[in-house]
Amino acid sequence: MYKKLLTSVALLGVLSVVALAQQPTPPHTNLKVGDKAPDFTLRATDGKTYKLSDFKGQKNVVLAIYVLAFTGG
Amino acid sequence: MSVDSVPANREFAKQLGVTFPILSDFKRTVVKDYGVFNEEQGFGNRATFLIDKEGIIRHIDEGNVAIDPTTVIDACNVLQHKKTATP
Repeated sequence: MYKKLLTSVALLGVLSVVALAQQPTPPHTNLKVGDKAPDFTLRATDGKTYKLSDFKGQKNVVLAIYVLAFTGG
Repeated sequence: MSVDSVPANREFAKQLGVTFPILSDFKRTVVKDYGVFNEEQGFGNRATFLIDKEGIIRHIDEGNVAIDPTTVIDACNVLQHKKTATP
């Protein structure tokens, strides 16, 4: 019984490692510090449309990309 | 910003009590332009870009590092300081 449990735990460990190894490596941005930021025009939750270049000469912009809504950030 | 639709992000913002607007890149064009599109999953990977007034990228955080906003806040302060330091 104890041995069986140990085998299960070991198997779970191996499976986890396999699952981790199969995860594709996330793509890294080709952009670098000093590059021009690609312009964009996007709709927002307030119903307005925001264009990056509209902030030129006005404000610094932080563009924070999160994975998906309802996923804890 | 995320690849969620505007209504999904609106609901998400309501749940979190977020007061600032959240951008929706539903067509995935911006995540592709910024090189963070995860083709396997269909969404943009977590990343933070600080863009200065001239449209130049001044700081990049990618992946789990981007969860913690401390580094980008520091970078913002440096930019602000530069602004005030220049007569």
